[in-house]
Amino acid sequence: MTKLTILEYPDERLRTMAQPIEAVDDALRATIDDMFETMYDASGVGLAATQVDVHRRLFIADCSEDQSEPLVFINPEITEKSGEFANEEGCLSFPGVYAKVERASNIKVQAQDRHGETFTLNAEGLLAICIQHEIDHLNGKLFVDYLSPLKRDRIRKKLEKEARQRAE
Amino acid sequence: MATPHSAGAGSRAAAAQALFMVLEQGRSLSQALPLVTSSLSGRDRALCQTLCYGVLRFLPQLNFVISHLLAKPLKKDLAILHSLLLVGTYQLIFLRTSDHAAISATVEAASLLQRSRQKGLINGVLRNVQRQREQLEAALASHDELQHNHPRWLADLIRSHYGPEQAEAIFSANNQQAPMWLRINEQRTDRAQYLARLAEADIGYHDESPLSSAIQLVQPVDVQRLPGFAEGMVSVQDLAAQHAAWLLNAAAGERVLDCCAAPGGKTAHILERQPDCTLIAVDSDATRLQRVHDNLQRLQLNAEVINGDAMQPDNWWNGEHFDRILLDAPCSATGVIRRHPDIKWLRRSQDIAVLAQLQADILDTMWSLLKPGGTLLYATCSILPAENSEQIAAFMKRHDDARQVAVAPTGSPDWQWLPGEHAGDGFYYAKLEKRT
Repeated sequence: MTKLTILEYPDERLRTMAQPIEAVDDALRATIDDMFETMYDASGVGLAATQVDVHRRLFIADCSEDQSEPLVFINPEITEKSGEFANEEGCLSFPGVYAKVERASNIKVQAQDRHGETFTLNAEGLLAICIQHEIDHLNGKLFVDYLSPLKRDRIRKKLEKEARQRAE
Repeated sequence: MATPHSAGAGSRAAAAQALFMVLEQGRSLSQALPLVTSSLSGRDRALCQTLCYGVLRFLPQLNFVISHLLAKPLKKDLAILHSLLLVGTYQLIFLRTSDHAAISATVEAASLLQRSRQKGLINGVLRNVQRQREQLEAALASHDELQHNHPRWLADLIRSHYGPEQAEAIFSANNQQAPMWLRINEQRTDRAQYLARLAEADIGYHDESPLSSAIQLVQPVDVQRLPGFAEGMVSVQDLAAQHAAWLLNAAAGERVLDCCAAPGGKTAHILERQPDCTLIAVDSDATRLQRVHDNLQRLQLNAEVINGDAMQPDNWWNGEHFDRILLDAPCSATGVIRRHPDIKWLRRSQDIAVLAQLQADILDTMWSLLKPGGTLLYATCSILPAENSEQIAAFMKRHDDARQVAVAPTGSPDWQWLPGEHAGDGFYYAKLEKRT
């Protein structure tokens, strides 16, 4: 397994629309394994393929406290949404940035697993937030898009400054 | 998505709030939990419950650790943080979650409890628990009085009656997680058929059971996963409690009274054993009576359910005497501590005499409603003799028209189950017959 590089905002590649996956094969499973290593290493609960510069409709998640519930979502679709709640979110493409975002509190999602089998899942709480956050990535959308332009601009400047400092 | 700071904090904050309500405000855990978990996800709700049960089981040991690590006790207005420290310490010493997740979620919970300024304090104490874990565990193991995790008065009472060896077994059983027992509705299914349904649903069970109606599951499951639950094929009820309907043994055509019936588990079981009796179920708590209605409806059984005080039968009794009465008396609940660990800290030693007097009064009142030749089954979920064997001995002295009948299958005049015996709860039964 290889740890992959996570694209960071404002990298334009994060705005790419991901393409549907036609075949779930060994090559894809290798990417999935690399993504898990990358996500666990970064203490994340979810990672979209877009974030590691793979523009295919795939994301992974693990909202357990002990890395015991790895989930793979290929070609995910949200089929039902209900309830609303606002929660603090962070994103591995925005190191150190957290902001409150409003999401549906209960969702039903349909996707394929790492063997290409279709499944549906009812999610609530952190997992519901995570799934909505990751599917946004596959559509080139980022959690800061829900914030006011002023707040978004402030976050962009902060991250650009930090990137410059790291480069020096 | 990055792990939010608040991940897991909600369940820890809710657990601290529920524990505060129990320990500082004297509420029961079953009242407190729904008040604090309504906004949590199913997984967080389950974790919150695990944390509360665990803390209440091992409270003295956890308090020992915290007092060891705090320079001075927290001020009264910070009592909620003491509850939060209990939650954090329990995770580090008794639960196998990762230390990092446990500490960060517990520290973050202080913000949710509007105590952001004390996050440093919580973090400091919990880091010390983590660093000194081995020494702390050794210190806990060397204190004999800390091993049983019961209040002193109750430990003394249990020891004086049962002797040191059996007392240890009771303490240990009280601090273990209780198994889930099912009661199958033998009107609708039979044991072999239902066991097959469980196997089909991939729910593990133990083969042996002293009662054909009782099935012990290997792991507790959500009732909604039980085959035929909604259709009334099965209920959840402990093995010891399931003996009530068997011992009462109502016959067709009899008038039967279930006194202090809520939430109705035994009421339903009496009818499952004997659908052709006239059953009247009385309880003084209107809210809990709703659960009797719900249970009977789900199981498709009929009883006359009355909201009334057992001590005031004139308000609800039509004057027709009963063939059989089940009196499941209000009691200390010291037999079900493994299911309700809050009982250890909510009961006071002076409660026992008050309860014993109440039980004596209800017994006498119920006796007057019984036909000559009728049978009264007295039951408690207590293990204290004052509520059980001594209570019945005093009753026998007061009533010379009473005769104690052997309680099957032991053949002895009364039956004291201890918690953990046959994996059941602690329970007491005595059967009294009125001379003609």
